[in-house]
Amino acid sequence: MALLEIKDLRASIGDTEILHGINLTINSGEVHAIMGPNGSGKSTLSYVLSGRDGYEVTGGDILLDGESVLEMEADERARAGLFLAFQYPVELPGVSGMSFLRAAVNARLRDAGEDEVDQLGFVKMVRAEAKALGVSDEMLKRAVNVGFSGGEKKRYEILQMALLKPIMAVLDETDSGLDVDALKIVSEGVNALRGPERGMLVITHYQRLLSHIVPDFVHILAGGKIVKSGDKTLALEVEENGYADIANVA
Amino acid sequence: MSPNSAASLSIEDNLRDVAAERFATSGWPGKSVEAFRFTPLDSLADKKLILGTSSGAQAARLIEGATHIQISGGVFDPALSDDMPSGIHLTSLHDDKQAQAALFADLPETHPVANLSFAQMSAGIKITISAEAPADAALVFDFADGSEHNSAFPVIMIDMAPESRLRLVENHHSSHGLSAPLLQIRMADKSELHHVRLQNESSHSVFVALSQIQAGADTKLNSFTLSKGAKLARCETHLNMLGEQADMSLSHIYLGAGEQLLDITTRLNHAVPNCQSNQLIRGVLDDKARGVFQGMVRVAPDAQKTDGQQMSRALLLSRDAEADAKPELEIYADDVVCSHGATVGELDETHLFYLMSRGIPEAEARALLIEAFLIDGLEQIEDPALAAFLTKAVRAWAAKATSAQGAMDRDA
Repeated sequence: MALLEIKDLRASIGDTEILHGINLTINSGEVHAIMGPNGSGKSTLSYVLSGRDGYEVTGGDILLDGESVLEMEADERARAGLFLAFQYPVELPGVSGMSFLRAAVNARLRDAGEDEVDQLGFVKMVRAEAKALGVSDEMLKRAVNVGFSGGEKKRYEILQMALLKPIMAVLDETDSGLDVDALKIVSEGVNALRGPERGMLVITHYQRLLSHIVPDFVHILAGGKIVKSGDKTLALEVEENGYADIANVA
Repeated sequence: MSPNSAASLSIEDNLRDVAAERFATSGWPGKSVEAFRFTPLDSLADKKLILGTSSGAQAARLIEGATHIQISGGVFDPALSDDMPSGIHLTSLHDDKQAQAALFADLPETHPVANLSFAQMSAGIKITISAEAPADAALVFDFADGSEHNSAFPVIMIDMAPESRLRLVENHHSSHGLSAPLLQIRMADKSELHHVRLQNESSHSVFVALSQIQAGADTKLNSFTLSKGAKLARCETHLNMLGEQADMSLSHIYLGAGEQLLDITTRLNHAVPNCQSNQLIRGVLDDKARGVFQGMVRVAPDAQKTDGQQMSRALLLSRDAEADAKPELEIYADDVVCSHGATVGELDETHLFYLMSRGIPEAEARALLIEAFLIDGLEQIEDPALAAFLTKAVRAWAAKATSAQGAMDRDA
């Protein structure tokens, strides 16, 4: 069943159209990768999907679990089951990490008509997930992302994903700024969240992430369009020959 | 007639008359008076100054175990107040000409409202904290009751003995048309004061407070103010460091909405070497509210090794809100570390998007960011019960501001 359907999606920033008609369907259980050179529209796609202000959809539609999200604000999309792991997670000085995580989880529970989780129950819930991702108690006590290393920020993103249990996760350049060890921990965290009820869209510039998070399908984004689709071998092809050839084919 | 009625010719009555004359001469300060340029009070000129009486209603208690002092309708109500613990003495200022003379001597001649308060003195209380007072002594002054037609001029003088300690709370939640409390605190050497003030007057009230603090050697002051009530409120503090190694921390948070005008004015005088002062001011302004911060730090010629820090930040939630800041340093010594800064900003859209992308509704996300903006102010409150109480007040304010804003955005 299709969890995410992107239909002839066109989007602009200001007067400039960045996405020129994107079509993509992700079914439950599938992991898709979008690869593309700088400026191809990868980050724009992730922001358009998550509903960031300033990105205007000028045509087409985005369906999450069969429902159009175009009229939904970012928070409504998140509660409907969409998650964006940021390329550059945002530091929030003064916002306690635990308060932030609990507010997010409770917003989701409230929407689902379930009981909110109290402080103590929540600490238990977080510790269990945090341990697997190597997120220390000390990190949990700090303000959101403040003073975190690049690797810690990415692990914290995956921790949020684990707590929020989205049906559709978009990972924007999750490998950027990670050394080999951190990449391994983050990838293991992501792989643990793969499952038949969940879809994933992994956006990346480089193939190296995809040898850790092995995708079912690979798409090449160039000039705001998907110019080629294939299986995981397409990623290796890019690694070998670069984007120039493929982009030119289009 | 009191036995002292023969003394009606004495200095005490004269001093209050002198103060009244000073006020009569100056009148309410308007824009042309520099110290009141941002917060002119001349619209009060037609106000009839009618003093009130206590309604006798009990007020809620803020801290368990603290000694409660009730000022209702602008007057001291002994029946609603606790007995003082041993080592702390409460006496009337009305009958104490010596204390009045001491108070008057330090009264700023150029502060019209302080002179008016001294002249009117609807309540006059002197508190003496002796060295024998319990180390955990806590006094809560509760200012309640009142009506739009009444004015209140409570005058409180606190004398702290050497090495004494005091937790002092002022809870202003009265409904007077005008409240002008005058507070004078003398901190003798090695005394320690933790001061928390909540200004939460009625929405029709004008609140003009002057606090004067004199700090001796090796004193420690931690003062925190939350100003959120009244239609116009000025919280003015004059802090005079007269002994070396005084360690002074002065924090203010103001929260304005509607058409409120909230003014924080401080004058710090480093008169001697080796003192430290740290001022933190945080303001959040919504709707058409205005915030004013005027902070003067003066360092006397021989006050070497002074460390004076001052930082003011204002957060505007609305295009129509306005924050004015006038930090001033007057430094006459050459070996000092002093800094000041003032910023005005809005909520960061990137921060907001990050929170919303996690499913947190916009109003709640904004409230979280407002609280985060104020957190380093709230962290200055040392008493856990008061910190919790004031954090709750801040949260409630933020929730109200952001939900109203959401409603406005939806209507737009």
